Amino acid sequence: MSVTSPAGNSPRPLPAVILVARREILVRLRSRTFATFTLVMAVLVVIGIVAASLLNGPAAPAPAPAVRVGFSGGSQALEQSFESVAALLSVDVSVSDISDEAAGRAQLTAGKLDMLVTGSATAPEAAVTDAVPAMAVIALDAATQTARLSAAGLPPSAVTSVMSGVPLEHVQLPETSPSESTTNVLGALGVCIVLYITLGAYGQFVAQGVVEEKATRMMEVLLASVRPSELLAGKVLGIGFVAILQLAIVGSAALITVELTRGASIPALGLGYVVAYLAWFVLGYLMYATALAAVAVLVSRPEEVAYATAPVTVGLVFSYLLMFVALSDPTNPVIVVLSMVPPCSPILMTLRIAYGVAPLWQVFVAMVLTIAAIVGLTWVAGRTYANSAMRFGARVRFLDALSGRRST
Amino acid sequence: MTGTNQRQLEIDAISKRYGDTVAVEELSFDVRAGELFGFVGRNGAGKTTTMRVVLGVLAADRGEVRWSGRPLDFKTRRRIGYMPEERGLYPKMRIAEQLTYLGELHGMAGRDAAAAALQWLERFDLAERRNAELQTLSLGNQQRIQLAAALVFSPEVLVLDEPFAGLDPVAVDVLSEVLRERAEAGVAVIFSSHELELVERICDRVGIVDHGHLVAIGSVEDLRRGGPVRLWVDGPAAGEDWLQDVPGATVIQEHGSRRLVELAPGGNDQAVLQAALRTGPVREFRPAEQSLGELFRGYIEEDQR
Repeated sequence: MSVTSPAGNSPRPLPAVILVARREILVRLRSRTFATFTLVMAVLVVIGIVAASLLNGPAAPAPAPAVRVGFSGGSQALEQSFESVAALLSVDVSVSDISDEAAGRAQLTAGKLDMLVTGSATAPEAAVTDAVPAMAVIALDAATQTARLSAAGLPPSAVTSVMSGVPLEHVQLPETSPSESTTNVLGALGVCIVLYITLGAYGQFVAQGVVEEKATRMMEVLLASVRPSELLAGKVLGIGFVAILQLAIVGSAALITVELTRGASIPALGLGYVVAYLAWFVLGYLMYATALAAVAVLVSRPEEVAYATAPVTVGLVFSYLLMFVALSDPTNPVIVVLSMVPPCSPILMTLRIAYGVAPLWQVFVAMVLTIAAIVGLTWVAGRTYANSAMRFGARVRFLDALSGRRST
Repeated sequence: MTGTNQRQLEIDAISKRYGDTVAVEELSFDVRAGELFGFVGRNGAGKTTTMRVVLGVLAADRGEVRWSGRPLDFKTRRRIGYMPEERGLYPKMRIAEQLTYLGELHGMAGRDAAAAALQWLERFDLAERRNAELQTLSLGNQQRIQLAAALVFSPEVLVLDEPFAGLDPVAVDVLSEVLRERAEAGVAVIFSSHELELVERICDRVGIVDHGHLVAIGSVEDLRRGGPVRLWVDGPAAGEDWLQDVPGATVIQEHGSRRLVELAPGGNDQAVLQAALRTGPVREFRPAEQSLGELFRGYIEEDQR
């Protein structure tokens, strides 16, 4: 039987890591689990965002309606001065002339006016409804005082000098100041829950995939042609790609929903933030998936996966629980420190970024430490893979797998 | 032993222990290109360990495996087709994709691997099920896929652990034919089996392993020559003591008037014939060829002693 020789002039074969990753991607995208899981996550996220936006009403408060002020008689001389002071005080006013006081009162009680000013310019009287902001009253006071000073014979330049206000400098608060808005808390919480679920689920997919290869003895066939490190890298990268694809789908659903529900003022769901979350997902995934693969390869039966991976899963659950502490107190020193240290950094740092309370240097430290952890775990997983991938039956002790010795 | 640059698989003094259990000890033999080599031994004799060491899925404590005179490394191992004792494939992956994947992992380009996968599926009569998941196939058919997985990338060496176990007679014939064909194409083929008749029929050489040691190696012909001479003698008139005067000759089996006579080394078959003729007519006198099964039992018992 003649079979095309691989040594022929055919196109170059693909590297093993890519082949392994490609298989993982194809098999997983084709599975019903992926479609179901993605759909459920997207629906939950959309429902969450819609619920949050309903809970808080329109996110951007509608501008306060203009204060309707009617002036009658001599007080009408105050109108211009009142308007300019009101503008300085950022009070929106609409001024109208009222022919007589009785008509004005009628409009006031009918809700067509918010303030009725009567009397002379230097001794006005005002009737107001509850809707009148204090600033409008202050504006009227200022206008009256200006009129009185002029009436007392003070030259206009002196009046201006007396009435000029204290210059105010409006300080722009830094972006990292904590935002107290409920929507933002909900946004950050939602992001972290999605991160936690995805890290947990895809980490478990990696662990199960590793054990499946041992349980079905596929490992023996594979390791005859692929290095343990290539097999591990291909699996982690392939499943990671599927995870990111899923997050992209769920994330798009979230962004579209935010847009539609006009919840765009949730800073935690801004585009720049989403990029940061994705970066943290990638780091967190690489860290947890590698750690899970390193311990999953110690066992040979699917039912032992949960037991074997428990030490790693505890790290994830621990940071998830801390997230709730961080939600109420994101600047707590313990949270700040833990947010920079693996295994807590992916979830806690993501939360602090979502809150806008993570200084850049802390994010940087957390990333460096997490990358260092990934490098270390890759080495560990390489050892345990090489030493226990072909040891079937009883669970291999972690230290034996690390050192390559057998305790039997 | 020094390496030669002939195309042959040299297993040179490999030893492997599991804790206190010796799996193989100082095991050496070689399998030449174009040769079909049968590896026989009882369960736990060390066959699977030897094969795993050859494939590098298990590291030997001592010893070396060479191909064409050079120690096997990762790259050369990829030219070995392997069928492990415990079958290993993805249960939920489509069979054609699975074979293509394995072809690619062994260095084939995607299109070539897919073409080769289809050719082997046709050969094993499974082309119509190419898109079926492995787990939906019968065990016998899964076994064929496992074989195709070892063959798909045209390996230079085939290492098959019990490839015939669980196959129906037709599949056994197809596989025998395939293995012969591969050997004729210059592939070094080694396989283990408990089907000694089959091994005897198709193998060029046989290695018998027991307790981690190689106790015999050679063609079945060679092995016979090394064993005692046995003769079938049919002399209806011969009594109980007809062989008394022939030194080193003993009757080991009797079927009516037919007797199986075993000669000690240096025994004289003509003296047996003459002794038989002295009793009357002799209807049959011929050497009894030992089957591989008989040879095997002989070697194992010898090793036991």
